[in-house]
Amino acid sequence: MKYLVTDDSKLARLSIVKSLKAHVGDAEIFQAENGEVAVALVKEHKPDVVFLDLTMPVLDGYGALPLIKECNQKIKVIVVSADIQEQAKTKVMALGAEMHIQKPINADKMQEILELI
Amino acid sequence: MSNITLTEDEKDVLQELMNVAYGNATAIVADMLDAFASLSIPNIKIMQTAELLNELHDLKGDSYFFSTQAFAGEFSGESAFFIDNESAQNLALHLELETDEDLQDAILELTNVLTSSLTTRLAKEMNTEVKFSLPSISKIPLNEMDQNDSFKEYSQVIVIDTQLNFEDQKINGEIFILTKDGSIEWLKNQLNNILEAMM
Repeated sequence: MKYLVTDDSKLARLSIVKSLKAHVGDAEIFQAENGEVAVALVKEHKPDVVFLDLTMPVLDGYGALPLIKECNQKIKVIVVSADIQEQAKTKVMALGAEMHIQKPINADKMQEILELI
Repeated sequence: MSNITLTEDEKDVLQELMNVAYGNATAIVADMLDAFASLSIPNIKIMQTAELLNELHDLKGDSYFFSTQAFAGEFSGESAFFIDNESAQNLALHLELETDEDLQDAILELTNVLTSSLTTRLAKEMNTEVKFSLPSISKIPLNEMDQNDSFKEYSQVIVIDTQLNFEDQKINGEIFILTKDGSIEWLKNQLNNILEAMM
């Protein structure tokens, strides 16, 4: 399995990568600092799972999500956001997200996510 | 006067903590107003109070409702919420408020819910707790902002600035968290502890 972690915050990326590594060991994990870089990395590395923040510069999660799904409908996109409003969840689910998770993700929450996908 | 700065990594950590705290606070306020708000990326700066006052002059509109709420603890300071006249009137319309008194009461409650949930969550992320005083409100022209007592006791402040934007209702607000020198040192320490734990 290949994973892509997308967030403009280095801390947020490190946090997700750390939780991921605790469960998936040596799997390939790529990182992107905005939606535009994420789309490019999806095309280049073809990850199976994308963790995607919503509020980012250059291209936000709402803009990146349809472009990522356009590359490969089978990619599972987990939106990880501080925006926990119901409308935000409805919007990303309609755009093809697998789930919408509130930040931050700890190791226990990561285990739940990985079991569900 | 001390001159404290934040490194890029410290800013990144604070921005992310603020993002989480703001998301939580916005969801509560959005639920309270039955409206959907967009989130902005928090802008973080350490500046002299005089510089902050100059920046406030760049806000649109001639006069603002300006409400503040002080918080105390290891992390202490004041959160301030600005809402311009037009947004305040749109808020009154949205909530079907009829008098200025009701509008001021609504803005105070909005400030209380927004800033206390924001600061509480931010403090929680930094493993501490804060205590709040009651919020207060004033309506002032921006050119008189430097007369406001809230800014007088600060020399150097850390300013965490985010926009609250209810697009459909045309309600915009701006939130500032102001902290003093001692809290900035404490904050830097906490941010580095968080960062080290991630490495």
